[in-house]
Amino acid sequence: MTTVAPVAELRGSPVAAPVEVVEAGRQRSVTRCTVRADEPVLPGHYPGFPIFPGVCLVECAHQSARLTAPGGSAGAPPELLGVESARFTGPVYPGDVLTIELDWRTGERGLRCRAKLRTGQGQVAQVRLRYRETEEKPA
Amino acid sequence: MTTTAPADTAVAASAAIRARLPHRYPMLLVDRVTELVPGVRLTALKAVTSNEPWYSGLGPDAAEEDFRYPQTLLIESWCQAAGVLATWDDPNPEVLNGKVMLFGGISGVEYHRPVLPGDVLEHRIELSRALGDTLIFEGVGTVGGNTVLTVERAVLTLRPAGTLRPVPSGAEN
Repeated sequence: MTTVAPVAELRGSPVAAPVEVVEAGRQRSVTRCTVRADEPVLPGHYPGFPIFPGVCLVECAHQSARLTAPGGSAGAPPELLGVESARFTGPVYPGDVLTIELDWRTGERGLRCRAKLRTGQGQVAQVRLRYRETEEKPA
Repeated sequence: MTTTAPADTAVAASAAIRARLPHRYPMLLVDRVTELVPGVRLTALKAVTSNEPWYSGLGPDAAEEDFRYPQTLLIESWCQAAGVLATWDDPNPEVLNGKVMLFGGISGVEYHRPVLPGDVLEHRIELSRALGDTLIFEGVGTVGGNTVLTVERAVLTLRPAGTLRPVPSGAEN
């Protein structure tokens, strides 16, 4: 069924789909995100052939990282300093459910988050992000 | 300064870019090509405005920093400029026919300072290596001469259009 709905609103991110935290651990976390059919990027990527852009997979990993960063709930979300690597291995379409496994490490160059993203079809991307470490606020 | 080049002296402006990339609103993130040496390097501009859809849901309490251009889209914009260089001699603005450009991966991306509405991004792209249909690029993104983004390595591959089609399966959607 085709319905005319208002375009999803965005708050400084190209992805409208909310990220849900499924498991939150100190070092390992799992999140989930369902690619909406009305994602605002899709009409332009591409007309008549909607495919979820690779950078939006990096965005989903980044939003997941902001929600699960060690000490992140204590204050401002951590600042993304770099994308150490991102590798795209499978296409993602509207309606796909992304499951994102995050693994946090603290190293010399800040906080690192390794994210593996998969859909029902298997792994679709692997992303390594680097963040500025945020001070954990005392309780 | 390439940033001041008017559209009529550009190597490629809006219409020419649309004839080369399949991306469209709101994901066409290259506005103008100002310098090009085919197969070697390219310089392109992308103007950022507060009218972009990424800011549509920001309310009256939004802070200046909420208007930082999404960092992942800086990569997208830079890679689209690389895509113009990649396909300069054989452009294909379609995704369902011919050879299409796929974003294979990227590494060594560093963000140096935020990009805000009003900024004009200048992407400088160099082709580092071409291995058949796999092309590797490096370069920077700048605003007003200041580096905002460095990219050590971005991999674009050209593949037959059918590669992108969903695999039919009996599974639920």
